[in-house]
Amino acid sequence: MNIFFIGILIFILSGFIASIFNKKNKVTVLAILCFVGSLLCLKPAFNVLFDGQNLTAQYDFNPVFGTVNFALDSLSAFFVLVICVMSLMGVIYSKGYLKPYLDKVKNINSHLIFLPLLIASMLLVVSCQNAFAFLIFWEIMSLSSFFLVIFENEKKEVLKAGIKYLVFMHISVIFIIIAFALCAINAGGYDFNLFAQVLKENSHLANLVFAFAFIGFGTKAGFVPFHNWLPDAHPAAPSHVSAIMSGVMIKTGVYGILRVLSFYAAPSKALAFAVLIISVISALYGVLYAITQHDLKRLLAYHSIENIGIIGIGAGVGMLGLAYGQMQIALIGFAGAILHILNHSIFKELLFLSAGSVYIKTHTRDIEILGGLIKSMPFSAVLFLIGSVAICALPPFNGFISEFLIYFSMLKGLAIKDFFVLVALLFSIAGLALVGTMAVLCFTKAFSIIFLGMPRSENAQAPTSDSEKSMLLPMGFLALLTILIGVFPQYIFDIVLKPASVVANTSIMPVRTCADLMQTISLCAFGFIAFILVLMVIKFKFSNKVIMHETWGCGYDRANNRMQYSASSYASPFLSMLKPLFKKIFDIEKPKQLFPKSAHFSLHIDDIEEAYVINPLVKFDEWFLSKFEAMQSGNIQSYIKYGLIFLVLIIIGSLFIG
Amino acid sequence: MAIKILNILIVLFVPFLMLGIIKKTKAFWGGRYGASIFQPLYDFVKLMKKDFVISKTTSGVFRITPVIVIASALFAALFVPLASSSAIINIEAGFVVFAYVLSFSKFFSLIGAMDTGSSFEGMGASREACFTTIVEPAFFMLLASIMALSGNYTFDALGKIVENSGGYGILICIFALLVLFIMILTEGSRVPVDDPATHLELTMIHEVMILDNSASDLALITWASGIKMLLLSSLIAAIVIPQGLSMWASAAAYLGLMFLISVIIGTIESATARIRMSHVFEFIFIMSSFALIVLSLVAARMFGG
Repeated sequence: MNIFFIGILIFILSGFIASIFNKKNKVTVLAILCFVGSLLCLKPAFNVLFDGQNLTAQYDFNPVFGTVNFALDSLSAFFVLVICVMSLMGVIYSKGYLKPYLDKVKNINSHLIFLPLLIASMLLVVSCQNAFAFLIFWEIMSLSSFFLVIFENEKKEVLKAGIKYLVFMHISVIFIIIAFALCAINAGGYDFNLFAQVLKENSHLANLVFAFAFIGFGTKAGFVPFHNWLPDAHPAAPSHVSAIMSGVMIKTGVYGILRVLSFYAAPSKALAFAVLIISVISALYGVLYAITQHDLKRLLAYHSIENIGIIGIGAGVGMLGLAYGQMQIALIGFAGAILHILNHSIFKELLFLSAGSVYIKTHTRDIEILGGLIKSMPFSAVLFLIGSVAICALPPFNGFISEFLIYFSMLKGLAIKDFFVLVALLFSIAGLALVGTMAVLCFTKAFSIIFLGMPRSENAQAPTSDSEKSMLLPMGFLALLTILIGVFPQYIFDIVLKPASVVANTSIMPVRTCADLMQTISLCAFGFIAFILVLMVIKFKFSNKVIMHETWGCGYDRANNRMQYSASSYASPFLSMLKPLFKKIFDIEKPKQLFPKSAHFSLHIDDIEEAYVINPLVKFDEWFLSKFEAMQSGNIQSYIKYGLIFLVLIIIGSLFIG
Repeated sequence: MAIKILNILIVLFVPFLMLGIIKKTKAFWGGRYGASIFQPLYDFVKLMKKDFVISKTTSGVFRITPVIVIASALFAALFVPLASSSAIINIEAGFVVFAYVLSFSKFFSLIGAMDTGSSFEGMGASREACFTTIVEPAFFMLLASIMALSGNYTFDALGKIVENSGGYGILICIFALLVLFIMILTEGSRVPVDDPATHLELTMIHEVMILDNSASDLALITWASGIKMLLLSSLIAAIVIPQGLSMWASAAAYLGLMFLISVIIGTIESATARIRMSHVFEFIFIMSSFALIVLSLVAARMFGG
């Protein structure tokens, strides 16, 4: 456990050390230090995951905090693994990504300090066993990521997104505090073990605590309807930061939910259904709005909501299994959810990093004006393609494995003889299938509009070479991981069963049927890839003569790049089917007169929750607070008066209560 | 062993025959003599020998798409029960693998179409992607409901509907068959969803996506869509053909059923016009409502007493 803390210390210090160096070497130093830190943190995590031996450490911070316990059980160790590997890839990538900013931006040092600080705080969050310290680390995590988001703070919309993020995080932390306070009052201490003892006895309290914790942590994770900060914050942040935030940081929210779940034996049935339904809605909502987006990073951010929903479906089925006393179903459900956490962090990070490569070269995130990039940036294109196929959960990539596990747990759950379970699960299965096909629609759109066809603007013609090696290398590594997990799922399944059993509060049961299935799927995936490769070799070896020609334009041979299908038109048949779910804002100037001079059309689709819930709330808030404007007189005497009144009120209040 | 070889032969040749029979049926209703039912096979052989004409706009994605499409179709065949046997790889939740392998091929055929930069192919791709979003959930809901009935999560559950559902058996079977049949029409791009024989690019769906494919690419894609139709028809066969027939009897029944399905598709194509594009969704949505009916019948069977 000491090694772990040395690793965290290195993370914390690395930013400060890196800022001493000159511009050229700064990020390299940071990457090397983070690499060392990751190795040190990974070693105990691996020990825990493979040997099953939990690590604990106790530090005395008297008199402020009392004794604070740290522990690495397999759930924590799994998250340490995800955090370390994925963050490290982001940091290595930032070497290439930050290059154009090194001269322009003044606050590069603060960026380099907050980046490893975010990683360290996430590691502390998942290893800490004390509610009070947990909240402090949680806050450090939120604040450091806030500073990372507002990297380009000279842009107004970046600052706006950052502040929105900050507000959402602080609303969410209130719910977490309530949940922990409820526990602490009853347990008489802040230690998670005490919480677990109390909650195991009092299931009524436990369900209440879980509900609050779900809202609090769910805001961080991005469950609908608490998701609204996500699609704004991710595009605003630099790509490696959005990759770390989307790939890793929002998963700490899921960690919180799973940790609270591990405190008690079985959630109530109503809660399990609620989590399942919210998750299905999140998944559908996320992918639906992803289809409407033309901003690449916004699109990916909505896909994070979708994938958090899928993770939630797994967790929801697991909770149903617990609530109905079916341990096998619970284990498979949680295993699917936990594996999807890893998988999503891999392919989402891969996609964000490739999106960053595109952005650095073309200086735009608007996919409508891109196109044909596969010719100038072949590696980024192939890596983005791998990421897209993986996020659509298609075999033989990793996303398929976790979604298969979740499907499998839902199918097994059908055997629970209960009407509501049957109907809920059948609709969830159909929902997950719908999410999968919509993801296919979304990513065929994104990939083909960005990388295929002809360039649609000068931005798309700008790139002359692919990104640098330091950016491609981490992306290549992540792509390799997606394939490895897809082809050898049986090994990773054995590993995720351990954290799943921690969440389900049970000893590890051999889930025979499922392990065998993983074995078969591994063989199939292997055969599938081999089959495709053999066919490719045959095709290109014995290919007939190839004549190059223009694309068939139905007899019209003056087709140009403006006549290609655009992203809006690709999504249009689907979106027209679901009209009522959007608030569409058209900007049309129709062609007038005989020889029209100018005409344009653009379509913007607003988040329905933002338009009808958040904005009215903010408006009401502004109106309400404006009533108190008179209090702000700017004169110091009246401020002292307010203080005095407040003090008197407190004294009177304490007299009555005390 | 013999049955395995027969199954392989079925996947290799029957798709062509089905396409041939559909064309022959259409010719019959049109009062023409029509080409031989082996014509698609001759076309295939001929196309394999031709030279490629490929658009300058395309990239490697366009070249590898046909390979991936045919590989996925053949691979998906491993998970489906064909003539008188369980699937070769008969695993629990096998339909998830089956559907996702086909999705994989669809993913590539969509981006392969978009790779040409043609607005016609973009149009076809966007429609195809859109239809899939309606088809797939209904398919999953149908199969999961049927599997809930028997507690068997392999494709074998399809053959056990009647024995597990008491009085509801016939109803469930009818609606399940209707769902699968509409799925064949949609995924196989037949009338009334899509018209494979149309001459106007604007109204095409699947055909327009492969406008720029030529030679062996075109041959492989045509074959793959034939295989897809065969596999979905095999699910119908799994429901309809009674269990416990001798091996050859059920193989004969299977082939007869494939013939019948082809004739029905050909007859529908002759008797009806394709639906207006904006109303196609409504037709495909019938699938979802029928799947919901199956779901409620299953729930009624399990909890209705």
